[in-house]
Amino acid sequence: MGAVSAIFAAGFFQNGSVHAALLAGAVAALVTGAVGTFTVLRGQSFAGHATGEVAATGGSAAMLGGLNPLWGYLGIAVIVAGAIEALGVQRPRARDLATGLVLGAGLGIAGLLLYLDTTGTSTSGAAVTVLFGSLFAVTRSALPGMVALGGVSLALVVLTYRLQLLTALSPDLAAARGVPVRLVSLAYLLSLAVAVSLAAETVGAVLATALLIGPPATALRLTKRPGLAVLGSGLIGVAAAWAGTVLAYDSYYWPPAGRSWPPSFLIVAVVFGLYLGSGAVQRVRGRRRAPLAPGAVPAATA
Amino acid sequence: MAGFKPGAWARRPSRVGVGAALLAAVAVAGVAAGCGADPAPGLIQAVGAENQYANVISQIGGRYVQVTAVVSNPNTDPHSFQASAQVARTLSSAELVVQNGLGYDTFMGEIEAASPNSSRRVIDVRRLLGLPDSTRNPHLWYEPSTMPRVAAAVARDLAAIDPAHRAYFEANASAFTRSLAAWSAAVAGLRADFDGVPVATTEPVADYLLQAAGLDNLTPWTFQAAVMNGVDPSAQDVSRVRALFTGHRVRAFVYNRQVTDSLTQSLLQLARQNGIPVVAVYETMPAGHDYQTWMTAEVNALRVALAEGRSTTSL
Repeated sequence: MGAVSAIFAAGFFQNGSVHAALLAGAVAALVTGAVGTFTVLRGQSFAGHATGEVAATGGSAAMLGGLNPLWGYLGIAVIVAGAIEALGVQRPRARDLATGLVLGAGLGIAGLLLYLDTTGTSTSGAAVTVLFGSLFAVTRSALPGMVALGGVSLALVVLTYRLQLLTALSPDLAAARGVPVRLVSLAYLLSLAVAVSLAAETVGAVLATALLIGPPATALRLTKRPGLAVLGSGLIGVAAAWAGTVLAYDSYYWPPAGRSWPPSFLIVAVVFGLYLGSGAVQRVRGRRRAPLAPGAVPAATA
Repeated sequence: MAGFKPGAWARRPSRVGVGAALLAAVAVAGVAAGCGADPAPGLIQAVGAENQYANVISQIGGRYVQVTAVVSNPNTDPHSFQASAQVARTLSSAELVVQNGLGYDTFMGEIEAASPNSSRRVIDVRRLLGLPDSTRNPHLWYEPSTMPRVAAAVARDLAAIDPAHRAYFEANASAFTRSLAAWSAAVAGLRADFDGVPVATTEPVADYLLQAAGLDNLTPWTFQAAVMNGVDPSAQDVSRVRALFTGHRVRAFVYNRQVTDSLTQSLLQLARQNGIPVVAVYETMPAGHDYQTWMTAEVNALRVALAEGRSTTSL
């Protein structure tokens, strides 16, 4: 019992905010981890990041309308994902530019909407909630929706797993074999939209990338088997989300006493720590051959 | 109330951040553009950073002063962008400015610095009261001793600007201070009947008034500060505050009417479920009130909650 009370500060298991945070964090991390594996394999980390950040526009608009930001994140993320597919920009440079432009314009609108949130409707802390998340303040009524959305997103990638993998690693080969590449990409982008919305709701629109890219990058350092990487990435994400939640709760007793450190920061710190740790594991294993890792992939997709 | 223009620039105070920076930029741009509004000729131009201060200036200055309020109830005036540049212009030509200080209206100092004017008199209420900059609760106008001192300082500065009407300003200041007697009596009455009675709050908006009335605010300061600053309170503090309601340990819940976040909503719901009366308080003077009637209404709302268990959700 001594060890348990050393890790979990008093009241952790009885606290309603903690229960909601653990559930929301687990759902978001599991889905983003799994979907993000394909993002990393496709070499589209920046597009994934942009989708999350532009979702801030929807989140702040939803708050202005008195809605839960989740629905705003989702609406915009689906639109952005649809736009990426409609443009169908395959050349990396043009895609990079288009993504950057949309990102800048979207965040600009988010800046205006957050200003209106703060001045017009007095939604206190709207900017922090939308951009950096408020895990302990996740609205309980949004939880069933989060679980359902997460289930749909996971089902989309799991049901199309083989096609997703082939399309991610070699779209040309996939097309040659008769895979409906655009349809597969659309399924991926829809699950990406859901994933970043869930991540934005828990750790904020800006930090959604950390959950989307960090756990997959870590998992892909530890295993060469893509199926295991998808599963492992989801589990690594959940572990990071839960560890961050525990640390945030415990941080009440850290300086400055009586205030909690933001859960988003702690979750992202754990994600990054795990990635660094995976590098150490990789070195200890002394592998000669490069595993299936982000650095190895762009050559195949470019 | 002559020349009092309420709500020229709607902005919720104490939420420093993206909004403040944007506001300052817009406001400064307005000053730089230099297209001045036409002030009424012959009137002293004065600005109150919050509409309660503008109201007091207006009561002291009367027919010789044109007063503009920068921050008023955000729900009454959506024209924030258009009006902000206009207020910055007014501020650049203002001869008297009253601002709260303590980080509550930092943008005022920024606009003033952007349009230097050696003849402009600035009353910083924090400085006027001799409070240290580390004072943690900026809602100074809820403290009963604050406004009489502000009124005296306003009368002194107006007399310096317009010596011919010194007697008029001083008489108004005395009348203002006398008119606060009803409020003081209501506070004293509350203290006599409910000294030490426990209450809960969302943020420290009316804490000075609660103290003056002898009420015991059981809400942890860290919780109040987090809500005031627009950051998330810790999970521990949230469950502690919820326990105040579920354990029926408080007799009233005093919440900021001008905030519409989910935490306030969930606490309001919890208070209702547990039969705890709620009292709405405002950061800026609500429409249809002057400073005296506003403060008296707040105290009456507290009395109604504590004596009869009835809620007040709007003044």
